[in-house]
Amino acid sequence: MVGDVIDEYRLPAGVFDEMMDTGGRVRSQYHDVASVLAQMGDTDLIERSDRLASAFRDQGVTFDLDGEERPFPLDVVPRVFAAAEWAMVEEGLSQRVRALEAFLADVYGQGRILDAEVIPRRLVTSSPGFLRPAHGVDPPNGVRVHVAGIDIIRDEYGRLCVLEDNLRCPSGVSYVLANRRAMARVLPELFTGRSIGPVSDYPARLVAALRAAAPRGISDPTVVVLTPGVFNSAFYEHALLARLMGVELVEGRDLICRGSDLFVRTTDGEMPVHVVYRRIDDAFLDPLQFRPESVVGCPGIVNCARAGRVTIANAVGNGVADDKLVYSYVPDMIRFYLDEDPVLDNVETYRLIIESERERAMAAMPELVWKRVDGSGGKDLVIGPTTPATELVRLKAEVEADPRAWIAQRLVRFSTAPTWTGDGLNPRHVDLRPFAVNDGERVWVMPGGLTRVALSEGGLVVNSSQGGGSKDTWVVGGVVPTPAGRPPAALVERMQGPPMQRGPMSGGAQQQQQQ
Amino acid sequence: MRPQPWRLEIEHCTTFTYDPPARSSYNEVRMVPLTTVRQTTMSARVEITPNSRQYRYWDYWGTQVVAFDIPASHPQLEVRSVAVVDTGPAGGRGDAGWGALESMGSQMAEFLVPTPYTAWTPELVAVAEGLRTGGPVDTVEAVVEWVHSALQYQQGVTGVHTSAAEALDAGKGVCQDFAHIGVTLLRRLGIPARYVSGYLHPKPDPSIGEEMAGESHAWIEAWTGDWWESDPTNLVAVGTRHVVVGRGRDYADVTPVKGIYAGGGDDTMTTTVRITRTPRD
Repeated sequence: MVGDVIDEYRLPAGVFDEMMDTGGRVRSQYHDVASVLAQMGDTDLIERSDRLASAFRDQGVTFDLDGEERPFPLDVVPRVFAAAEWAMVEEGLSQRVRALEAFLADVYGQGRILDAEVIPRRLVTSSPGFLRPAHGVDPPNGVRVHVAGIDIIRDEYGRLCVLEDNLRCPSGVSYVLANRRAMARVLPELFTGRSIGPVSDYPARLVAALRAAAPRGISDPTVVVLTPGVFNSAFYEHALLARLMGVELVEGRDLICRGSDLFVRTTDGEMPVHVVYRRIDDAFLDPLQFRPESVVGCPGIVNCARAGRVTIANAVGNGVADDKLVYSYVPDMIRFYLDEDPVLDNVETYRLIIESERERAMAAMPELVWKRVDGSGGKDLVIGPTTPATELVRLKAEVEADPRAWIAQRLVRFSTAPTWTGDGLNPRHVDLRPFAVNDGERVWVMPGGLTRVALSEGGLVVNSSQGGGSKDTWVVGGVVPTPAGRPPAALVERMQGPPMQRGPMSGGAQQQQQQ
Repeated sequence: MRPQPWRLEIEHCTTFTYDPPARSSYNEVRMVPLTTVRQTTMSARVEITPNSRQYRYWDYWGTQVVAFDIPASHPQLEVRSVAVVDTGPAGGRGDAGWGALESMGSQMAEFLVPTPYTAWTPELVAVAEGLRTGGPVDTVEAVVEWVHSALQYQQGVTGVHTSAAEALDAGKGVCQDFAHIGVTLLRRLGIPARYVSGYLHPKPDPSIGEEMAGESHAWIEAWTGDWWESDPTNLVAVGTRHVVVGRGRDYADVTPVKGIYAGGGDDTMTTTVRITRTPRD
C-alpha cells in the first residue's frame, strides 16, 4: 500500500485531525472510508471530484457571492463521526435548544433571568436582536426555535465546542441533502455495506414540526415557505425545502393579512395560511412593525401571530438569543432554566463590556478573533494573527467606542479533515453546522449536518460566503476519538466565561464508551 | 389642601386624506389612556372609519394598542378616540441618591441610553454636566427648568422627526422637543428618564362642562426612587390636567398613529383634541 493517498496524508502540527491521530493511525470511524480511498489512484479521485462538481452544476447548487453565482465545492472525502460521540452532540444540542427556548420565552415575557441578574438586563435591552414587537407573542406550542443551526468546532484538544448559535433563518440544509445524493451517485463504493445516519427525512421532520406549531384548533394546517425571492442567495434552498415538504413557496406579495387572519392568493382565490416557515429576516418581515420600506414582507403578519392565528417559524425576535455576547451566557442559561451542566462547552469568550476582560482582551488583541455580536457569514470577523497592525488599531478604536457591539474569542485552530486538493489528500480545517428541529415534544438532531471546509491551506474561515467548500457528513457506528489532552488550566482560569469543570471528553463521552 | 381628582372626557380625532386613494392600509393606534396610580381610565373606545375590525393588545411598554387594517380602497381614514379618565395629583418622588441610581443602572438601562431622537452631542453633554446639583431630585428640577428656558415654544419650526439636538440648535420647538431634550440630559446625568405621551387640559381651573380645544401633549418622567412626572414645556406641576397615554424611550415608542398604506400617493393629516372636565357623580 506504499504511496496511496492515506499513506501520503501528512498531519499539520498542533491541531486535531478528524481522521488520523498523532501516531499516524486512522481513527476507527474512518477505517472504511480510508481503505476505499487508498485503493483509488489519483486519476480516479480527480475524475470523481470533477463528477461531483458537474453534478452540482447540473442541479444548480451554487452560492451567490457578491452577486456572482459560484459553485459550493463538495469534497470527495466525507467527514465521519462515530455514533457514540454523535450521541453526545445530540444531547448537547438538544439541551442547548431547550435552554435557548426558555430564554426567549422569558425575555419576551416575564424576564425572570433578568430579575435574578444571571444575565444583565442592559445586555438584553441593548441587543440589536431584542425586538420589542415580539413581546407578548406566545407561540401555540411554545416553540420559537423550530430550526436551529448551532455551529460546532473541535479544538486543538479534541473537544467539541459551540462556536455560535443560529436561531433566525439558519441555512445550509439543502447542501446536506444535495451532498448526500451526489456522493451516493459518484462514490457508491463508499456506501456499500455501511449504515450511515440518513439525512433524507429532514423535510418530513421539518414539516411535521411546522404542523405541530399550528394555531390552536387548526387540525389540518396550511404551511407555506416564505422567500424573499429568486435573487436571494439561498433561494435554491427555499424552493427545494418547499418541494420536499409538499408545501407552497410564496413571496410577501402573495400573502395578505385580513383582520388577524393570513391568506395566500392563489389561482383558486384566497386560501387561509396557518404556519409560515419564513426565510426572510425580521427587519423585512412586517413593514408595519419593522422597516416600513420593505417590499418583500407582509404587513400585519406579526399581529396575526400575536393574535394566535398564524405561527411564524422561526419566531420573530430570536436574534436576541444568538447575539454573540448573549451566547457567552448560554451555559448560565442551561444551569438557570434546566438545572443541568452544559454538555457542550462554548469557545472561551471575552465579554468586552466588562472592563477587566476588555483590558485583557486588548492586551492580547493580535492573538484573538474579534466578531461583531450581530455579524454572520464570516463578515465583520477579524482574525488577530492575520490582520495588519494598522487594521487592529482601527478595530481597537471601534471596540473602545462600542464594546457592546463586539466579542473576542480565543483563536481556536479547529480540527482538520482530509480533503482532496487536486494533487492528493491534505488536511484542511473544518467546522460543522448540525441542524436541530424542535416540534415541541422533542428536539430532533439530523445525523451529521453541514461540514464546511476552508479550502486554502491553514485557512480558518469556512463560510460559503468566504469561498469555502463542504463535505458530506456521516454518523457511523464506532468509538469516540481519544482526546489529545485537556485545555491548559491557565487558559481556563483566565476566562470569566463558563467554568469548564466538566469537559465532555473527560466526563460524559468516556462514560458512554464504557457502556 | 390636596387637589380633588378630576374627571376628563377627551375626544381625539385624526383624519388622513390620501390622494390618490389608498388601496389598503395597516395601522396601529396608541390613544387609549393608561390606568396608573395617578389616573383611572373609566371608559375608552376607538372608532375607525371606514369601519374595520379592531385587534387590541398591550405592547412592550404597557401601552394599549388598537391595530386594524382596511383592505379596500379608501380616500380617507378617520380615527376617533373617546375616553373618560379620572386624574389625580402627582405622587411621591422617592429619595434615591446618586449611589442608588448607579446600582439600578442595569435594570433601568433602557431609560439611560441615548436613542436616535435623544442622541448625546458634545453640546448636550456639556449642558448636562453644568446642571448636576445636589441630589437627583434637585437635578431633575434644574434640568426641567433649564429646558423650559432654553427653548421657545413655537409650532412649525420642528417636525415629528426632529431630534433633541436639532431642536436645541433651532432654539424653538413644541412639547415633543422639550421632552426629548429633557430625557436626553437626564439620561446623560445617570437619571433614568421616560418620554410620556398624552393630553393636557389647557386651563388650570376649568369649569365643569366647558369643552375646550385641548392638545396632544408630551412630557417626561424621571426615576429617583419613584417615577415622577415633569412638564418642561409649561413648567407646571403635573397632576389633574395631564392624562397619560403611553411611556417609552422617545416619541417612536408611543407614536399615536402609525401605519403603512398601498397606493403610492401623498397623505395629509389633520388632528383635533377636545377636552372637557365633566362631573364626577
